[in-house]
Amino acid sequence: MTVQTTSRRQGGGYLERPAPSGLADVIEIILDKGIVIDAYVRVSLVGIELLTIDARIVIASVDTYLRFAEATNRLDLGTAEGQDLDDVLSSLREGGAKKKTKGALSGVKEALTPGSDKDDDSDEDENEEKQRSRSSSRRTSRSRS
Amino acid sequence: MTATEVEQTALFVYGVVRADAEVPEIPGVAGAVIHTVAHDEVMAVVGDVDVSRPVVRKADLQAYQQVLDRLAVSGPVVPVRFGTALPDATSVIDVLLADRPDLVELLDALEGRSQMTLRARYVEDVVLAEVVADDPVIRDLNERTRGLPEEASWADRIRLGELVARAVDRRRQDDAADLLDTVLPLAVEHRTLRGAGLDHVVEVALLVDHDRREELEQTLEAYAEAVHERIRLRLVGPLAPYDFVGTT
Repeated sequence: MTVQTTSRRQGGGYLERPAPSGLADVIEIILDKGIVIDAYVRVSLVGIELLTIDARIVIASVDTYLRFAEATNRLDLGTAEGQDLDDVLSSLREGGAKKKTKGALSGVKEALTPGSDKDDDSDEDENEEKQRSRSSSRRTSRSRS
Repeated sequence: MTATEVEQTALFVYGVVRADAEVPEIPGVAGAVIHTVAHDEVMAVVGDVDVSRPVVRKADLQAYQQVLDRLAVSGPVVPVRFGTALPDATSVIDVLLADRPDLVELLDALEGRSQMTLRARYVEDVVLAEVVADDPVIRDLNERTRGLPEEASWADRIRLGELVARAVDRRRQDDAADLLDTVLPLAVEHRTLRGAGLDHVVEVALLVDHDRREELEQTLEAYAEAVHERIRLRLVGPLAPYDFVGTT
């Protein structure tokens, strides 16, 4: 093993104990959970159903395989010019579940708040959206959490 | 976009607690004060909501979770799915409290317990290096495709990616099983959650007795230290038992 990352020790421990605060964290914890009341009697809150989009899709496709191959190619195994480790990691993450989550969340947001762009809580989401559409640059999307 | 009424208020439902439960004084979804609707032994925790206004802002999702997690700290709570709203207190009783005789039983089963969600992820470069080192075919394909343009090595790349995915998957099964063997004895119940990505090892919701939570944390800390070069562990909780109240 020639590659090594420093471990993220938090509060002196190896076990990460975050308080889930990011949008993706919260969605993941509460999405599709809890008991369900019959839809006939429920008051429909606009667009809520969109939230049931599963943000974590298990991917198995040609694209995925190509991405895995690319990641493997980039590994610095001491045999060839390796790419910066951060690039490898972030490219993997970017193509993975994280991107799916963001895609779904942006969709929800667009559908739910068509005329409320100045919404006080939308800053973070909008930033992400801009980053996504601007380019697929690897550097930007890690600012949160 | 169907709600066209100018102002239509309803009750946003967070969850169900025992009728004698303490309800925290914190703002809920849309900043509304939370209050309760009681019926016999159970009580719904609700808040007023304007149905004509979309409620899915980040702050609303967070408020929903905070209310439920706070309730879970002081006693058992059965979360109701986010986005559930009912016209008035009468309907809350009719379609939820009086209509679900299993609520009391569920609350009893959750007494003194809360959810802890554990996620394990690979350090990707390490697990990739492992599979390359272990398999001559992968190693050979990796050498062959490296430096070639994608178009010139399309088939080899797909083959390489497929082999890597399978090799990681085999490791994942072993590593997940080993971790679960360690933590499941400390939990009353568990639900394996779906996860994705090359780095995914396992994600599991654990229903844990309050008095075993510390033991769980200590066990996981020791485990995390032992495996940290290739696997990272993340534990979230205590949470309301979102994954233990049945979603069907």
